Amino acid sequence: MTLKQKSQMLALLALSAVSSIAAAIEEGDKAPNIDLPSIYADHPAITTASLEGKTVYVDFWASWCAPCLTSLPLYNDMYNKYKDQGLEIVAINVDNPIEDGLDFLSDTPLDFLIPADPDGEAAELFEVIGMPTSYLIEPDGTVKLVHVGFRQGDIVSIEEAIQASLAGN
Amino acid sequence: MRQLRMSFLLLLCVTLLASCTEVRAWERGYLAREEMAWDPDVLESALNDHIFFSKEASSGGNSAAGGGCGCN
Repeated sequence: MTLKQKSQMLALLALSAVSSIAAAIEEGDKAPNIDLPSIYADHPAITTASLEGKTVYVDFWASWCAPCLTSLPLYNDMYNKYKDQGLEIVAINVDNPIEDGLDFLSDTPLDFLIPADPDGEAAELFEVIGMPTSYLIEPDGTVKLVHVGFRQGDIVSIEEAIQASLAGN
Repeated sequence: MRQLRMSFLLLLCVTLLASCTEVRAWERGYLAREEMAWDPDVLESALNDHIFFSKEASSGGNSAAGGGCGCN
């Protein structure tokens, strides 16, 4: 191998390392497995196995993300409305340090599951492209809805999708 | 010798390129931290901006609002 060939190969290698971007999870895809500790030290870990047979709404949030903080109390109302019908909400906190997330939760208590993902392991698996991003996952593990961002009025379309999913159970 | 020099230059460029990294959506909180601001004193920055606007009749472009989540 000549020096030129070697240089070209090295350049290609470096380029491929820079552009190693995996595809984001889309509607119809199989949801990645979740296995994260709860943000609360005295709560059990949250795993995909513990959510089996439920319609799961997964939401990635952080204390520095204003739309996330708007959406969470609305999700809490929705959770209390539909939990008896089999809805589970898993709001994955990506704050690092997790104390930032806990600060918010001390002022705004939420009833659903809140795993902590300070290193972004689950966010990496879902290939989250914006904050907040949420996923409605059917009991068979298929992603039915991907929702990026949160604006006034979004809760209506999200609730409709959840109702449709719960009706199909 | 020239080829060797070129190869060295290319290697240097490639090394620098490899240090480029993407800030992922869930890591943007780091950018919203106080120590990441161009001007750590928010009040002074706002005052300077106001003076600049008064003198130049133009504003904006010096800082970004929001928490850095890239969602608005």
